Amino acid sequence: MAAPVNKRTDCWRSPEVYKHHEQQRVCISRPKYRDGRKAKAVKVYTINLESCYVMVQGVPAIGVMTELIQLCALYGIVEEYRPLDEYPAEEFTEVYLVKFQKLTSARAAKRNMDEKSFYGGVLHVCYVPEYETVEDTRLKLQDRRSYIVRAARNRERERTEATQESPTSSDATTLLNKILPRHDETSKNENTREALNVSHYSEFPPLPLPPEEHYSFRQNVPTEDKMGTLHNSFSNIEQPQAESLGSNPTTSNWDQGTEGRLGSNPVSGVRLIPRIAHLASRKRKMERSEEHSANISGENGLLIGPKLPEPPKLDMEDESLNTTVTLIRSTMTQVGSIPEVKKVEKKAKPRRRI
Amino acid sequence: MRKNDSTEAPERFQYLQSLVTEFQDTDSEEAKEQVLANLANFAYDPKNMGYLQELQVPDLFLDMLAEENQNFVEFGMGGLCNLSMDPECRDVILQSGGISLVTNCLSNGREETVLSTITTLMNLATPTTRSKISEPGILQCMLRFSLAESPRLRNLAAVFLQDCCSEEQVRQAQQQMQGLQTAIGIPLPKK
Repeated sequence: MAAPVNKRTDCWRSPEVYKHHEQQRVCISRPKYRDGRKAKAVKVYTINLESCYVMVQGVPAIGVMTELIQLCALYGIVEEYRPLDEYPAEEFTEVYLVKFQKLTSARAAKRNMDEKSFYGGVLHVCYVPEYETVEDTRLKLQDRRSYIVRAARNRERERTEATQESPTSSDATTLLNKILPRHDETSKNENTREALNVSHYSEFPPLPLPPEEHYSFRQNVPTEDKMGTLHNSFSNIEQPQAESLGSNPTTSNWDQGTEGRLGSNPVSGVRLIPRIAHLASRKRKMERSEEHSANISGENGLLIGPKLPEPPKLDMEDESLNTTVTLIRSTMTQVGSIPEVKKVEKKAKPRRRI
Repeated sequence: MRKNDSTEAPERFQYLQSLVTEFQDTDSEEAKEQVLANLANFAYDPKNMGYLQELQVPDLFLDMLAEENQNFVEFGMGGLCNLSMDPECRDVILQSGGISLVTNCLSNGREETVLSTITTLMNLATPTTRSKISEPGILQCMLRFSLAESPRLRNLAAVFLQDCCSEEQVRQAQQQMQGLQTAIGIPLPKK
């Protein structure tokens, strides 16, 4: 669970109003062929502008910080948050600084929460990379670079596979055959990596997973709008191959979007067995083992395996006491041998409706 | 509506081509800015790198660096920052003399442009080009930036100095700065 931040002066100092915090005017003069569904400003997004740190303005000052953080947590793990009391805010509103664990979560939160109404106010969400440390910046660039290199390698691999295939053969089938074994491998890696990630963060109870609908967009929504604003789309950035044949998940998916993948991977190698089948098989095993043990106890001369240790013989040094002990032991053995009485299920009477 | 990859690829290429065509044909500065920003944003998705390369968009971005219109420079440099992360696009930029064209923008007045410049230079660092990228002039510039008020500029400059050159080179640049004060003349970008 995200913790409120103790004041660390280095990156939680008094905020300055930077140009990239401001909401720019939307462009209204675009010709139709490149006008998107949503009006947007003319702005270029680079990795420098994006950050795990986002600022949320326009939060109504009615004590809804918890609700806000819960909303943020829908998009990914929130590491830190705090109100920015020093930041200029509109009357009756508050400003919050939120740090997500992953850049993709911040991207998703910005996309889904910006310009959305929240308890009567309208939120304005922007990245605030000025709150990063040098190490944060370095890791951000490294992650981005390795993701691009991986995507380039996958593109190269697909290109060579496409050229190696003969033009007359059924490309789809052969590619699918090649992709499917890879799915099994990657799904194993995915499960291991997911388990590792879960154990690594076991100190905090896990926040609720992002809703699955975000991940269903992976294959249904085009990657960018006509203005190329992919930075708004978190799921598609991490799924460069999502639209390609067979949707081969790459390792980048797991680096970025692990927490939401539980149970949502359509090509996971795990077979789901219904609970009823589990119970039935367990019952069969128990019955078999009971029969087996009954057989063993019934056959006097055919004992296999070591004998169970006999109860230690207790000598009370008095005949009457020894007799009492023997009586007690035999009673206990008799009681233990009686099978448990099965509870009779009462059939629930249908409720009389008045 | 999900499009099949086999139909989407040519459509995407055609769309990008129409953007490039509009940029070349239109007289409107405003339209050029919009299209340039679009192309720079498309360069953020690795899926488009191949198409943009084919349409010679890296060269288009490089051409923008010498323009007077500061939006052209900012958007062009942003596009280069996005493209240069891809190894193939990086090589194309290097072949077109990208390092010197990009380095000139270190003295740009806009912070966003300078940030994109520093990141692009880091992306253009290969074993072959490392010596060119860690020239004393550039290092002194980065040292100056690492003392700037802007946290983003400070951080990026620090990452550059730590990752793109050796400690010895940084020390030499620092000594040169103290001796000659050569980097003082480079103005810091405005916010």
